[in-house]
Amino acid sequence: MTTVSDQPTSASSTVGRRRSTTEIEQDTPQWRKVLTSDPAARVTSLLAFVLFWVVVSALFDRVPGPVAVWTSLVDEFSRGEVFGNFGSTLYRFGVGVALATVVGVAVGVLMGLSQLSRAFLESPVLVALSIPAIIWAFLTVMWFGFGDTGPIITTFLTSVPFVIVNVAQGVRGVSRDLRDMSATYDVPMGRRVRDLVLPAVTGYIAAGVRFAIIIGWNGVLLAEWFGGGGGVGYRARFWYDANRYAGFAAWVVLFVGFIVLLDRFVLDKAIQRSFRWRDAR
Amino acid sequence: MAVLTVTNLSKTFNLGTARESRILDDISFEVSGQTFVSIVGPSGCGKSTLLNIISGVEEHTSGDITLTSDAGGPARMGYVFQDPRLLPWRSVMKNMMYVQDDQSRDTVARAERYLDMVGLKKNADFYPGQLSGGMQQRVGIARAFAVEPDLLLMDEPFSHLDAITARGLREQLQDIWAQSKKTVVFVTHDVVEAVELSDRIIVLQPGGLIYEDITIDLPRPRRQSDKAVATLQADVLARLETLKAMAAAEPVAEPVA
Ligand SMILES: Nc1ncnc2c1ncn2[C@@H]1O[C@H](COP(=O)(O)OP(=O)(O)OP(=O)(O)O)[C@@H](O)[C@H]1O
Ligand SMILES: [Mg+2]
Repeated sequence: MTTVSDQPTSASSTVGRRRSTTEIEQDTPQWRKVLTSDPAARVTSLLAFVLFWVVVSALFDRVPGPVAVWTSLVDEFSRGEVFGNFGSTLYRFGVGVALATVVGVAVGVLMGLSQLSRAFLESPVLVALSIPAIIWAFLTVMWFGFGDTGPIITTFLTSVPFVIVNVAQGVRGVSRDLRDMSATYDVPMGRRVRDLVLPAVTGYIAAGVRFAIIIGWNGVLLAEWFGGGGGVGYRARFWYDANRYAGFAAWVVLFVGFIVLLDRFVLDKAIQRSFRWRDAR
Repeated sequence: MAVLTVTNLSKTFNLGTARESRILDDISFEVSGQTFVSIVGPSGCGKSTLLNIISGVEEHTSGDITLTSDAGGPARMGYVFQDPRLLPWRSVMKNMMYVQDDQSRDTVARAERYLDMVGLKKNADFYPGQLSGGMQQRVGIARAFAVEPDLLLMDEPFSHLDAITARGLREQLQDIWAQSKKTVVFVTHDVVEAVELSDRIIVLQPGGLIYEDITIDLPRPRRQSDKAVATLQADVLARLETLKAMAAAEPVAEPVA
């Protein structure tokens, strides 16, 4: 039986009816898609921050505004101070974080897999975790003097415990069922680590490396601040000692900006790549 | 083929705070040569636990287990778990190769052959998450076959599959078993399936004792239409019914203090 009605039968108004993805896609206006997109949210967040900065710097004269910082940065560039100093910091930071990642993953996997090594290493790692970067910075300056070694070791020592703790935590959480499966089939240890443990802890490794980067940059800047062997921390201190806060802030902004970009475009991409299996639908 | 000897095997799980529960109680049996043994029994009576102990992933509390290949060396084992147990981040084919000793081209070809046998050749590049539950289970079956084990352990491998797929795989299993000379220990709660496949049926009762050890000496292939097969099925089923009635009459076993 058919019912004739002069009401336009609009499918979307039917009670209890669920809309298909195709329909939702067609019904959403373009401006809404743009405004609610991820990039739009990021741009908004950035603008809000800059606005906040402008307001705060207008209220307090000890806070340099964006324009003053930008001018100092341009000045530093024209003085030719940027590339050399930024380059040496980047080198120290990169080596330190890379070392922390490699050593941290290895030790973390070991601690996660072997009860004995966990009992042995747990306390030293906890102690290392609670030593602030500034202590390592003082010690390494004392031990190694000026140069690259101090900042590299400081970066490494401040960040490696975070990688270890994260990775060990992840390894302990690897599915018991899959470990049992590997054991019944006598899968060699190397393959178990490569195909079972590492993929299962990718998220934990990524979190660990993120921590390493954030904590490590504290380390490298502090070591340079006290070490005096050039670098971003050294230049920042130079301006700080000269009571020129805009110059100080310019260096901080430069390095923070770099870290954010690194996180966004390198780390994020790498993480997405390693989770392809999860997004494959 | 393998030689498996289980002597006075017992298993108690520690439930913490001085409570424990006895799952297997003084079990003894021996399987060797080209034998197909089924283990049947009501849910929760310890069938999976027994297979886990045989495979070595679970420790036993007392008693003895020895497992060797019939040539005398260590036995190669294949285990179809009650659930698929695939690496979610590796493709189907990589999952097949994960458990293989050697990674040669011959082995890849063999893995492909068994994948084809369970009807999943064209899904070789899929991630497990992209397969249905039954398809994942079939990958688990192909994986166990592909290592060509001396001892094949199977824990209700066909119970999640539709009747027709299950029948097809049951036939394949019999062929493989007949050709490749292996010892099979097969857990099922399906008496019809057990009678169709087995040389021997071990019936476990709640509390983990062997209730009965039945030897089946009927010619293969066994068909439902065959009178002897049907009679035996009815007989085993009747005994399981008694077992169930017995378990229901008994007070629920308290954990041993
Ligand atoms: N880790 C454990 N700790 C405590 N008890 C357990 C543990 N594993 C299993 N059990 C208990 O052992 C008993 C037997 O479990 P098992 O998985 O072997 O049963 P099953 O015979 O395979 O049952 P089903 O046919 O339902 O698969 C159950 O009562 C279960 O509660
Ligand atoms: Mg079970």
